Amino acid sequence: MSTANKLRFAWGLLVVLVLTPALLTAASSDDKGNWLAVQFPHDSPVISVGFNMGPSTAMARGSSMVIDLHAGLVLRNVGTKPICGLTLRVEAQDLSPHGKGSVLKPSLFVMPGEEFPVKVDMQLVRPIAAARSEVAMVQVTLDCALFSDLKTYGPDKLNSKRTLLVYEMEARRDRQFLARLLDSGRIPELREELNYGIQDFIPRQLGLELLRGPHVTTLREQSVNVNPVNFPKGPVQPLSGAAQVAGNEVRSPRVDIRNVSKLIVSSVAMGWIVRDEHGTEFVAGALTSPLKIGPVQTSFISEPGTLRFSLPNGQPMVIDRLMTFVNDVEFADGNIWIPSRDDIDSATQDHTLRRELASSPEEQRLANIYRREGTDGLRKELKRVSLSNQHPN
Amino acid sequence: MSINGVAEHPNAEILTLYSAGDLPLALRLRIGRHVRFCAACEQQVLSMQSAKAELRREAQSQVLTGFEAIADWQTLESDMLGNIRVGVAASRCIENVGRGRRFGFRFAWAAGMATLFAAGWIARVPADDSQRIVTALRRVVGLEQSPFNGTVLRSTPDGISVKTQSATLTILHPQSAVISMSGPSAVTARYVDDDSGQVTITNVYGQ
Repeated sequence: MSTANKLRFAWGLLVVLVLTPALLTAASSDDKGNWLAVQFPHDSPVISVGFNMGPSTAMARGSSMVIDLHAGLVLRNVGTKPICGLTLRVEAQDLSPHGKGSVLKPSLFVMPGEEFPVKVDMQLVRPIAAARSEVAMVQVTLDCALFSDLKTYGPDKLNSKRTLLVYEMEARRDRQFLARLLDSGRIPELREELNYGIQDFIPRQLGLELLRGPHVTTLREQSVNVNPVNFPKGPVQPLSGAAQVAGNEVRSPRVDIRNVSKLIVSSVAMGWIVRDEHGTEFVAGALTSPLKIGPVQTSFISEPGTLRFSLPNGQPMVIDRLMTFVNDVEFADGNIWIPSRDDIDSATQDHTLRRELASSPEEQRLANIYRREGTDGLRKELKRVSLSNQHPN
Repeated sequence: MSINGVAEHPNAEILTLYSAGDLPLALRLRIGRHVRFCAACEQQVLSMQSAKAELRREAQSQVLTGFEAIADWQTLESDMLGNIRVGVAASRCIENVGRGRRFGFRFAWAAGMATLFAAGWIARVPADDSQRIVTALRRVVGLEQSPFNGTVLRSTPDGISVKTQSATLTILHPQSAVISMSGPSAVTARYVDDDSGQVTITNVYGQ
């Protein structure tokens, strides 16, 4: 290679080395604006008044693009009623139509005109070769807003209206219960209820996989009974149940139930409790099934998917026992039943199980306030919420 | 060469190497024992040693007048052939030593590259991609029977994710979050946000 050619080659290399990072940076900054979009309906009771992407980043890993999104939203209640809860729907075009996410805020108490923050932290992994689109990769929009009068607004595509209602009813139940303890001076009971103000650094949690679609396992299946936990005064009683268990997988759980009320039931959410080989019990969650059951009629609830349980460290959990309970019931007239504190107390003598059954998001929030501010802070918060709910609608 | 026992007479090459002290120790001991009890072989060895000594003497005096003294040309031929074979064997040994070292270098280089590749893979390739490749390989060799073509909802210590064929969305949460099912096709994480004191509940759905 001649000297002139060498110089030309070196110059070309320098240009490529200098320009490539600049082009990549420009491309990524262009993309950043197209990563996430927040859109609310024009008549929405909440609007976005602040939005930042924080330390959001995108990087290539293998054949995939990993986009870390840390969006901070500031929303304002522009309606006329206090907002008690809110669900934001999170959709990614790469997952449509099968997958989506949501961020739900129960126990809000946002008065008209007030602002409140919502953080959305997520990660999207998509193929680098995926087609680019004018639409933002992730879209955040309002799915449902719940007001203090238990009326709702929003398209409710995720059935979050019912979820918000259940959370709000549980919140009111737990606030009443704690206020009663405070008012009657039953402080030791209050302390016990709120875990003595101790933060549960290692919550009793489990790893969970819900597999939808065809799935075959090589593990040997065995049929196990599902033991019902009855709330004696509940409108729907679980009778018996069974499921196929293979290792840490539960398949096709089925529970027979009876409507013992005089109302028509339109859907039932069954709570599931899993006990591992060491006897530790975990509330695995609730599965809601839409079904119409007339008074005194019997029906059954089944789940076609596969549930796979693991311990927090990722090790498969050996399932020893399955229990089920009626978490909530929706009637045809739109009313919802949840177990009262008395129902929970009379359902079991097991203190740990009773605690798991009574656990709610609101109790978790109030326990956090009690831990930070003590009895006075808790009393103040209960009073504030009580006043919010008395706001004229 | 075939020395299978003391009773068998060693051939001329072996005896030549023995007489020159060029045999390996074990073989030298065995041949020595044979020679001590076999007069014919002993005579042959003595003859070889004598001829060699004569040659050495002639060489030192630069006069090969004793050339004629080498009556046994076959003995000399055996000596030369034996030495050639010893040389060939020695060169093979040296060649093998070099080969072993080269193999070691190659192995170390390959191991280094494999380690570098593995480190790069772990650092740069997402676990999802790795899992996909492992799964595909398992299917190829028949260790995995049926592919799962649906939507997978999964919880990890950092978040809950919904994974389809084309992409994965993970909604992140702190490690204190409590994970549960919510509805027939949703996984939920619940936690109290330290900054705002609000309860946040995240969900992923697979439909």
